[in-house]
Amino acid sequence: MRISRRDLLKGAAVAGATTALAGTASAREAVEPRPEAVGMLFDATQCVGCRACQTACKRANKLPVDLETGETGGQYDAPRDLNSTTKNVIKAVEGANGPTYMKQQCMHCVDPSCVSVCMMGALHKEGEGKKKIPGERAGTGIVVYDKNTCVGCRYCQIGCAFNVPKFEWFDAFPLIVKCELCRHRADPKQEGLLSIANPACCEVCPREAVVYGRREELLAEAKRRIAAAPTRYQQHVYGEKEGGGTQVLYLAPAGVSFTQLGLPELPDRSQASFSESVSHAPYLHGVTPVALYLGMAALIARSRKKEEAAEHREEGK
Amino acid sequence: MNDMDSEVLGLETKGVSRRDFIKVCTTAAAAVGLPAWAGEKMAENVAKGKKPSVIWLHFQECTGCTESLLRTSHPDVGSLILDLVSVDYHETLFAAAGRQIEEALEKALHENEGKFVLVVEGAIPEKDGGIYCQVGGKKAIDTLNAVAAKAGAIIAIGSCASWGGVPSAAPNPTGATGAPQILKGKTVVTLPGCPANPYNLLGTVLQYATFGTLPALDDLGRPKFAYGRVIHEDCQRRPHFDAGRFAQAFGDEGHRNGYCLYKLGCKGPQTHANCSLLDFCEVPGAWPVGIGHPCVGCTEQGIGFNVPIYTNLPIQNPTAPMAYPAVHPDHTVLGKSALAVGVGGAVIGAIVGAGVVATRKISAESEKSERKE
Amino acid sequence: MSAHDHPKAIGGSLLDRSMLMLLALFGVAAVVMAYRFFAGVGPVSNMTDGFTWGIWEPVNVVVFTGIGAGAYSVGLLCYLLNKGQYHGLVRPAVLVGAIAYTLGGSSIMIALGRYWNSYLLPWVPWWNLSSALLEVAICVIVYVSVLWIEVLPSVLDGAAASRSPRWSAIGKTWGPRLAKAMPYIIALAILLPTMHQSSLGGLMLIAGPKIHPLWHTALLPTLFLVSCLSMGFGAVVALVTILNLTWNAKHDPKLFADMSKVNAGMLLFYVVLRVADVAWSGKLRFLALDFPTFLFVAELALFLAPALMFLSPRVQRNKGRMFGAALLAVAAGAAYRVDAYLTMYRPAGWTADGKPIAAGWNYWPSLGETIVTVGMAAIGVALFIFISRKFPVVVVEDVRAHTTVGSGPAKAVASR
Repeated sequence: MRISRRDLLKGAAVAGATTALAGTASAREAVEPRPEAVGMLFDATQCVGCRACQTACKRANKLPVDLETGETGGQYDAPRDLNSTTKNVIKAVEGANGPTYMKQQCMHCVDPSCVSVCMMGALHKEGEGKKKIPGERAGTGIVVYDKNTCVGCRYCQIGCAFNVPKFEWFDAFPLIVKCELCRHRADPKQEGLLSIANPACCEVCPREAVVYGRREELLAEAKRRIAAAPTRYQQHVYGEKEGGGTQVLYLAPAGVSFTQLGLPELPDRSQASFSESVSHAPYLHGVTPVALYLGMAALIARSRKKEEAAEHREEGK
Repeated sequence: MNDMDSEVLGLETKGVSRRDFIKVCTTAAAAVGLPAWAGEKMAENVAKGKKPSVIWLHFQECTGCTESLLRTSHPDVGSLILDLVSVDYHETLFAAAGRQIEEALEKALHENEGKFVLVVEGAIPEKDGGIYCQVGGKKAIDTLNAVAAKAGAIIAIGSCASWGGVPSAAPNPTGATGAPQILKGKTVVTLPGCPANPYNLLGTVLQYATFGTLPALDDLGRPKFAYGRVIHEDCQRRPHFDAGRFAQAFGDEGHRNGYCLYKLGCKGPQTHANCSLLDFCEVPGAWPVGIGHPCVGCTEQGIGFNVPIYTNLPIQNPTAPMAYPAVHPDHTVLGKSALAVGVGGAVIGAIVGAGVVATRKISAESEKSERKE
Repeated sequence: MSAHDHPKAIGGSLLDRSMLMLLALFGVAAVVMAYRFFAGVGPVSNMTDGFTWGIWEPVNVVVFTGIGAGAYSVGLLCYLLNKGQYHGLVRPAVLVGAIAYTLGGSSIMIALGRYWNSYLLPWVPWWNLSSALLEVAICVIVYVSVLWIEVLPSVLDGAAASRSPRWSAIGKTWGPRLAKAMPYIIALAILLPTMHQSSLGGLMLIAGPKIHPLWHTALLPTLFLVSCLSMGFGAVVALVTILNLTWNAKHDPKLFADMSKVNAGMLLFYVVLRVADVAWSGKLRFLALDFPTFLFVAELALFLAPALMFLSPRVQRNKGRMFGAALLAVAAGAAYRVDAYLTMYRPAGWTADGKPIAAGWNYWPSLGETIVTVGMAAIGVALFIFISRKFPVVVVEDVRAHTTVGSGPAKAVASR
């Protein structure tokens, strides 16, 4: 018995159907910014590179100093990048009019890739995780980390377009390290914003280059700043739409692009929405696997019977 | 220098030893950036009676610069300065008054024409023909032009004389302006400050008297030895800035611990002056940042008396911390172990090689058996 | 099981020279792995926050399971399309699958930072169903068990034929019982790889900006599914050829030619999908004289070459050429997978015209990583040899004494 063209076509049809489903099935709904979401606004025209935020972050999060030895052998007494002991870093982009400073930390995306990919929701939007963790309140949109459900697969690092989550490579019992908006510094006795979180970086910034607040208000503030000094800024608030929106927003000075500041060009649709749409589509909410299983089990059982019958006939001869 | 002793100088009666005298000269020399022997030479010249003649004009001001010159501590530098230079006309210090003093001015102008040092204190009003400041019926602007025409060197002391200072603050009703703006085309050494540090004046005057030269000046006429850098660069609180420790409010823990005052509106990062390096009146810490108040930028045109005191400004010349990471800093691992690269390559090579060799061998065998068939 | 093909245990010395060598290789890897558990992943690897998966994920998991997909591809042919004549290939393919998937799973445990928390994975309420990796993890965990259950008939057959009465009893009771349950297990054994092999491609969907546009497409799951089939078919042909040379396993050229025609179809289907996708989504503009384009063309060539070879009668007649083509088919899938996961992955992404943005990170596997990967492959080969010697897995042509010729290629194939 040879494999007929029909058989091949059957196989191709299955593959084709999978493909077609992937393309056409309804997309996963886009995540809208939560009305109560908090975040930060970083204004690169205001930052003077004093790195107070870096120091404050280290202190607030009890992170050790990191001494890095450079190529020249000398020790560099400040973090060179986000890493397992640095949740916030100031970087510089040299330009014609002197340096522009860039603050890097978790963007607290509206629809984060890391949350989408995290197997058991170790990284999750506060209060919206699979596991209920006491003390978390939903709606703040802060991306928090629960070490007890993290297996250390580092898929979050693959998924994050901003390369934010960091891993403790040189630790036998490592953690994923990233900014959690100083949620632990929230003061429950306070009213309003400070009862949600209290980012140390915003508290110490001498120039209000980075401020903490509700995302909506920060967005309005960012637009107000641009409108007040149109020649000073890029006419764009990074994070309003990028990658489905982020809760940390950026303003860049005119003449320095966001890509120069290390912020990637992202489509308005979040990667999570794209990935989940494509991945989930063929499953039809779990109907496909069950149907496939039952169909195959039936098919196999039938062919098994036929085969046995054939064998019996053979033996009978 | 044996002939030069305190007796000759006549300083003994003032309780100043020869040693103290040379010390002041040396300090002044050092302030201007001259070597120690220059101080000795200055002292020598003064001892020989070659005192520079100084004519001091007051216009729109508070006399604060003169006051700070006089309110020095031990040794009595104020008196010393007055002994080091021959002040031939000074409205505040002169006992005489009226016509008598105006005659003295005429005399000094005549005697030392082309040699005397003119020190201007205070702004000069230009509005309405300069009628808002008159001394002895003469308008400030006319006096200044007349005296400056005969001066050997012109020094504007204080922010008012340097660029207008307090009187020029908005709305500037009198049209107050600084001496350099009036004396266009002339070299005017400006020593802005509210008040200016007396040592900066002393150093400049002594250098002129001793060597006949002026210190190196920047394009605003400020001696580079004093105004070459911004306060922020040499500030005693700078380590706190670098470490990110800022006073958040007056009286808070950070403020009491002497943290950086930048967040409270310190103008140090844009203000050119040597306040942090040269104490006022020899009292350590006697300047705004030293006593816990942010620098108000009194020396800097456009900042002092113009930018609100508690508004903070960007850093003009970001210096230390020296290095910031690039947006995408280097994290390369390649090339750190040639062995790893070699072994990795060898493994890939072995797999490909084994595949090729095996394929060839089996093909050849298979062909042989085919032929046999 | 077809009436005529009866697999039998190969027997022979368990600790021959090649076996000792394989064990030694694994021994070195075991030391590295042990060290990793005390010192962390960093000291033994070149993995960084930029290239966080190194080769353990793309090679040990994605490529190994691609090779292990032989069980899936042969299963599809044999059970779903009801081609009984492929039965003889099922047991070796299933064994390779079971081993490859087990190794993939074990490699993950070594790569996982917080491996001890993975016991929580079966706890359904915490499942994040959006995570492609969760699907892969759960499917792989279940599939490994399913594969070993599929291996069980060999073991039970062996037990039934055992001289020990107790073993023999166990084999005789449980063998038929298992046989009855088999259809439902086999259905699972086909469903699960369909799900997780496509999800392996789906894993990279989220990394959109970081994967070169020629590789990042909504078709990633489909392409991975198709490539696992082509890899699986290739791996089975290569494996049985080697078994034929070493242990005189039954080698039916006609059967292989038929199966390889299916594989040619798969390979061509892949090429058509890939090219059409690139063309349709307007990505032809990324083709230029650069490294990504070179890789893209090289991959397509790797897929096309075995396809054309499989269709040529000249190749079909020659065992060696078939073997070569099968290896190429495996290599093609492997190359595609490693490219999509690693070679074309850039932490800072790609510019709009397809140039990598310098991110300061680069990667080449460290000695430790290479040793672990090689050691894992070695223990896989060793396990295969051990089980085939002890239990009836391989269908043997006749009683001709086996030789050890060809154990070299065996290693080479299995380590892919």
